[in-house]
Amino acid sequence: MKLSLPLSNPANHSATTGPTSLAVAETEASSPVPSPASQVSTPTPVPAPVSGPADLAAPPRPAAGQVIGQVLPIYFVGDESHSMRGDPIAAVSHGLVDLRDEVATHPLIGKKVRFGIITFADTAETRLELSELSEDLVLPTLSTRGRGTSYASAFEALRHTIPADIALLKVSGFQVHRPVVFFLSDGQPTEKESKWHERLDDLKDPAFKERPNILAFGVGDADPKVIQQLASSPTHAFMMREGVSTAGAIAEFAASMLHSMVSSAERLDHGEQTLEFEKPEGFVQLDAPLV
Amino acid sequence: MAPKRQRSDAAAATEPPAGMRRSADRRPVVRRRTRLVRGPLTIGDPAPAIAARLATAEPYRADTLADGGEVFGLTVRAASVRGLHKRYVGGPRQDDLCLRVHVDIRTLIVAVADGVTAAGRSDLGAALAVRHAAAAVARQLEHGVVQVNWGDVFEHAAWALVEEHRRTGLADAGVGIEGAAGSLATTLTIAVISAPDGPGVSDLVDAGDRGDVDQDPVRVQLAAVGDSPAFVLVEGRFEPIVGEGEPVDGFVGGGVRALPRDPRAFCAGACTLGPGSVLLVCTDGLALPLADGAGEVGRTLARELASPPDIVDFARLLDFSRSTYDDDRTLIAVWPQRPQ
Repeated sequence: MKLSLPLSNPANHSATTGPTSLAVAETEASSPVPSPASQVSTPTPVPAPVSGPADLAAPPRPAAGQVIGQVLPIYFVGDESHSMRGDPIAAVSHGLVDLRDEVATHPLIGKKVRFGIITFADTAETRLELSELSEDLVLPTLSTRGRGTSYASAFEALRHTIPADIALLKVSGFQVHRPVVFFLSDGQPTEKESKWHERLDDLKDPAFKERPNILAFGVGDADPKVIQQLASSPTHAFMMREGVSTAGAIAEFAASMLHSMVSSAERLDHGEQTLEFEKPEGFVQLDAPLV
Repeated sequence: MAPKRQRSDAAAATEPPAGMRRSADRRPVVRRRTRLVRGPLTIGDPAPAIAARLATAEPYRADTLADGGEVFGLTVRAASVRGLHKRYVGGPRQDDLCLRVHVDIRTLIVAVADGVTAAGRSDLGAALAVRHAAAAVARQLEHGVVQVNWGDVFEHAAWALVEEHRRTGLADAGVGIEGAAGSLATTLTIAVISAPDGPGVSDLVDAGDRGDVDQDPVRVQLAAVGDSPAFVLVEGRFEPIVGEGEPVDGFVGGGVRALPRDPRAFCAGACTLGPGSVLLVCTDGLALPLADGAGEVGRTLARELASPPDIVDFARLLDFSRSTYDDDRTLIAVWPQRPQ
């Protein structure tokens, strides 16, 4: 089944999210042609530039000539807890190598994608800073560690990492698309629900401008109800089918993440901006209410 | 073709070798050879060179469309080029444009459309939208309308998409507006350019607005559904007239309005074109790398469009190579005067 998922969070389309949405909403009905009193009349007046201290409060704009390209930041957030030992963690590593090689050798998307890896067990660790996927990029060796599964630490890491990464990309002259997170876990969080939920809410908060689109995947002993809560849209949550091996499901997940990355990056600037995603074979989509 | 001239071997023997001629003082002069400049114009880091596949879609869609000419004292250049991604996969160009001249009322109608990639036949949707919208505007002008009724224009274009969807029975995408949106969705931006002495200008332009120009200004009305913007290029600056505005939360992308679903969600604007200004109507394949116009792409366009390029040069300019930008690009430029 091929899904076409909206890349932007639903909150993006709310008329209350910012001046841009509001400006579009104002033109919903029949818009009168503005009076041609000046040489150029725009439907959404741009505030006159102000000087002095107000400039310091304005969001930084790229300097002239700094827009050099467009990029889609993608994060893989993977479980490194003890239960992933053996074939599952090996399947993750293998999938990441395939992903690097495929993206690096694609003539059009290599420059458009930035990929980062964050893993979590008792704590979260950034295993790969957001990077361009070139053939000579050395990927981290993933290995299981600790006994705990702290979702809160993973969400907190994302909450801190993403704004910094995006700021760096923008300062470097890139136009940035809303980041995508592929979250994979084989177990349930070993911390209080209130703790990881609070961190998740921080990450998905509509007031958090850099909030990512989150695709959540559960394998092994992961709880479908929890996985469903992690996704940024009801259609973004997937659970391994019964009867499928965890390592096999992870391999399917990795192939789908790669496919999604390629097709999303290919169509990055093609107007409608949808995240292309093909559901992995060994998974079910959790968009139906769970009883 | 001129007849070949018979020459004696003796005469041929006294002539310099090919590529040389002799000046009056008998010194050989190297003649400049005419060579085609090959390859795209590169702005910044180039996009990778790929072998373009021929598009396989029916009906036929050319990789590149180039048009232009003079009319009513205006100079027009228009081009639509297939993006690198479509060239790589062999897909059809999903952008389109239309130029329509209304001689009786000295009005030029221009339209651009950017087919939504998720809609399988949006190349067809874009082609239909620009033509039907231009025709709808022309009908209004024939009936003496001075200020274009944009709602009516976009409704007509949307209707054309729904009707085509019904006619061709693309049932896999559903029926009605939603079905047509699934197969033919497209953005649409139209500009109506009234030549200086055309009727209706005096009704629309204040006398005070004409003070600093040598002749009556060229009057432009425009409207857009979606993110295909229009600018006036004046003194190196790109002044936005219509478009979707600043990115949400600082991110580019993030959804676009399109026909046939959103015919009433249009954004309208107006401007006048004085000497030295250029009207630009384009798709986001150009607007995204152009950004606010202050970068390399903006500087290049401003320099090259200071005066109208040749028609084919204009298309080559639009087909510039720049890393990570591989979407279809369409641009219509209108100068309010003839080339010098």
